[in-house]
Amino acid sequence: MEDHPSYPVLLPYFSKYPRAAGSLFQAYTDIVYSQQWLDTEVVDLERCGRAAIKGRRKNEETFSYVVPCALMENISFGWLKTALADLSSPPAIYLAITTDDSSIVYYKISDGIVKPTM
Amino acid sequence: MAAHDPIPLILAQNTAFVWDVDDIATLRTKHGICGVLSGTLPHLSQQNVFLGVPLILMPEEVVYLVQKEIAVLIDDPAAYSTPSNFDLTSWITAQEESVEHQLSIAQMKERKERLAPGRAMSEEASRKRREREERNTRAISETTNGGTEPRSTFTSALSPAQAPISSAAAGYTVLIPTESNKLPWYQPSNERCVYTLLADTKKKGIWTFPSTLHECARCSIFRDLREKGYYIGGGIKFGGEYLVYPGDPLRYHSHFVASVHESPVSTLHPMEVVAHGRLGTATKKAHLLCGWDDETKEVSYLSIEWGGFG
Repeated sequence: MEDHPSYPVLLPYFSKYPRAAGSLFQAYTDIVYSQQWLDTEVVDLERCGRAAIKGRRKNEETFSYVVPCALMENISFGWLKTALADLSSPPAIYLAITTDDSSIVYYKISDGIVKPTM
Repeated sequence: MAAHDPIPLILAQNTAFVWDVDDIATLRTKHGICGVLSGTLPHLSQQNVFLGVPLILMPEEVVYLVQKEIAVLIDDPAAYSTPSNFDLTSWITAQEESVEHQLSIAQMKERKERLAPGRAMSEEASRKRREREERNTRAISETTNGGTEPRSTFTSALSPAQAPISSAAAGYTVLIPTESNKLPWYQPSNERCVYTLLADTKKKGIWTFPSTLHECARCSIFRDLREKGYYIGGGIKFGGEYLVYPGDPLRYHSHFVASVHESPVSTLHPMEVVAHGRLGTATKKAHLLCGWDDETKEVSYLSIEWGGFG
């Protein structure tokens, strides 16, 4: 575990938010190595009890945010609003939902009423 | 009905109906309230393609219309007062007149038929009928001649084909009016049964929505979406509580499937995000999480779509 290249970057947040460690590790590894986002960094999301991932999607100029969460967690409407607010109010965040079998799915959560993309 | 008059919503068993087609048109075109047409034909009650009056309104629609002073609630059972003796007598008289009228028409028709029996028949048919009548007359005269009794005037005067139909055989239709508006004892505009405030109908127990936090959240969210110009329909087909349209549902597809969250802290399972998000994206819609905060009395929204990667 300690030998994994993601480990040193995430270590401070593992000890700060041990309950969110699993989903953070899974989401970060997927974003960096599978989705190959650029300029990634980990940002503290204290009011949501976890860290989030900031980075640029391939071929995109603007930064996007990923908030990891485990499938079996209970979240809430207010929790999502808090995440948006504490990530300096981007138009949308990606909620990374992780499971024990290492599968992961991303949902785009936009603030307000946003028409679906055609 | 003049444009400024409040539209009567007829209440029966905690359901609000609109029976007037002009009112239905006004609700839809002027106020963006669609409701659901639910009336069908007594003989084709299973057909559900072309439905008509009454329009049934969603509870949120009712609350919106009353709060906006667009409509008033009518306690329908209370709108029927006890008929006076005069009302009853004239009703009975009208019934009897209707029966007499129907019978006299039937008799007139019968008489016409008797005077010109061939009118409705072809040459062939009338020839056969004449032959049959002649045969009958011969048979009767033979029996009369052979019998001891002389024929009575009655039987000799009429052949069987010409016998008048008795009133019992002719029958008549009892007309049951489809609407009560013309009954003198139906007074829906009597102040006794007109309600402009939801607090009063709640006290009376004839309209109790909204009574829980969740129902209050639904009403506030409905109102907010409507004020933003959206049209709102039931969301059962897409697993949500509402379908949100950018204009009249007859002209537009819905853009959103909405779910109601009564408080910022009420539980949301990530699985719901996945299920709603994936279904919405597959149907070219976004899922709308509608959140109500009872402390700040504010509505806010989050839109969900599949991320497109991972």
